Amino acid sequence: MINNKQLTDPDGLEARFGVRVAALLGERARATPPDISERLRFAREQALARAKAARRQEQLATAAAPAVVARGRAAVLADRPGWWVKLASAMPLAMLVLGLVAIDRAHDRAQIAAAAEVDAALLSDDLPPAAYTDPGFAEYLKTSGQQ
Amino acid sequence: MATDKELSDFLKSVEKRAFKRTAFAVRDDDSALDIVQDAMIRLAEKYADRPAAELPLLFQRILSNATMDWFRRQKVRNAVVHNFSDFEGADDEGDFDILEMLDGAATGLGTESASEAVSRDQILQIIEHEVSDLPARQREAFLLRYWEELDVAETASVMGCSEGSVKTHCSRAVHALAKALKAKGIAP
Repeated sequence: MINNKQLTDPDGLEARFGVRVAALLGERARATPPDISERLRFAREQALARAKAARRQEQLATAAAPAVVARGRAAVLADRPGWWVKLASAMPLAMLVLGLVAIDRAHDRAQIAAAAEVDAALLSDDLPPAAYTDPGFAEYLKTSGQQ
Repeated sequence: MATDKELSDFLKSVEKRAFKRTAFAVRDDDSALDIVQDAMIRLAEKYADRPAAELPLLFQRILSNATMDWFRRQKVRNAVVHNFSDFEGADDEGDFDILEMLDGAATGLGTESASEAVSRDQILQIIEHEVSDLPARQREAFLLRYWEELDVAETASVMGCSEGSVKTHCSRAVHALAKALKAKGIAP
């Protein structure tokens, strides 16, 4: 902006001259032919229409963002799995538990069978079981095993 | 944020000067109208959300860029280099005194006789012609500074040069205009 100081300052002679010439140019510019004025008006209206469109688009974009989030959440909630799906997803876990129980039972049975076999061998042997509790017999077994 | 009305009022206030300034640069009314429309649309699409106070400087910058784009598209590289370079003739103003012009101007536009009023339009045409004949950078600086009333810093920002260059361009433009107009017996 050209201020008054510049206009009165001796160093502002150029500014004074420039402002005067610009004022005359402005006078000439105001007398623009009608066809050019009309085209400028058309250009201005086009620009304003674009501005409105840009603002509308921006508003739509900001309004649409929460809707998209809400819609996504609804979509997730709407697809609840059915009973069969839940049952099918629980099957592997149930199979695993049943398998573990079966293995445990089989292990117990094998232990019982082994113990019964040992008991049967002890009972059917000539040596009475009470002999194993005798310290002398235990010592005899050790030394005979080393020899 | 500038409202539609503020944007409309701003464009209305600036469109004729913008057209003239561009027509000076490209020397073709149709092209100048296209460039101004392009600049208006760029401003409206990309900067309509800016405060109204920022619009003048933004628009001048966009208009300058749009004019440069036009020159690039025209592929008149040599003309661009010639018009937009800082190459200017030797300053042979000599002892030309701008104060003398201004003193003469004090009576020049005082009271107009009928014949003066008739010839006023011709004088304005001559002034416009002399402005359009200035080297491009001088004319750009002169018009931005004194017609668009931007300050030195704003003019430098729009032109993409230093403030010192703006002052130099303006000074040379003023002296060239004063000399040319004096030679034709015109005192603005």
